[in-house]
Amino acid sequence: MSPEESPRAGRLAPETRPDALPTHAADGTDLTLIRWMLSLDHKERFQVLQSGARSLALLLDARPQR
Amino acid sequence: MRGRSADYERLLRTLLDRNVEFLVVGGVSAVLQGAPIPTIDLDIVHERSSPNAARLLAALLDLDACYREHLPGKILRPTERDLLGPGHHLLMTTAGPLDVLGTIGAKRDHADLFPHSETVTVAGSLCVRVLDLPTLIRVKEESGREKDAQGLTILRHVLEERERRGK
Repeated sequence: MSPEESPRAGRLAPETRPDALPTHAADGTDLTLIRWMLSLDHKERFQVLQSGARSLALLLDARPQR
Repeated sequence: MRGRSADYERLLRTLLDRNVEFLVVGGVSAVLQGAPIPTIDLDIVHERSSPNAARLLAALLDLDACYREHLPGKILRPTERDLLGPGHHLLMTTAGPLDVLGTIGAKRDHADLFPHSETVTVAGSLCVRVLDLPTLIRVKEESGREKDAQGLTILRHVLEERERRGK
């Protein structure tokens, strides 16, 4: 199998398809996350925002007490 | 008890219930514009007329807001006069951190920014005015703060991606 083929599907890996968009910018920014966020409407983005804040609070609560 | 994390919906509803004129700026506006960045507080720029400052103060009382820099030792609350000025009020509330900003960037106030904002529906019938993406980028560039550098890179990529999709 050619290294350009996806081992799982036997098709060309996403990054080697002629129509594929880059996954990362030259500065390392993950463009797939940006495309995902842009695929959401404002209400869905607000839910992402709110769940992120709740998750952070849970992580803070889980920190070992000094 | 003051909130450990931001309850954005409650913060926004409280401000809207009190008919406060404000714009959502900062990280929350960036996420609503499509930027995948973490944020833990709500930043707003309010209209600094006396009637609006009074309405904002009522909302802040509803939220039991006090200045974060004096916690936990001292409970210091903003006054209506404080809210008429151009300064930044970094507050903790029962619905989490809330930054009330008189101006941002190159001393841009509510009147300067309003034409560069848009109304978005974020939950149910909850509609807020949010700074648009090009202006958010400009304001962060004007601020010149090191902490904004990484966020700025992401915002520019979001703008590029939106323009690419628009083509």
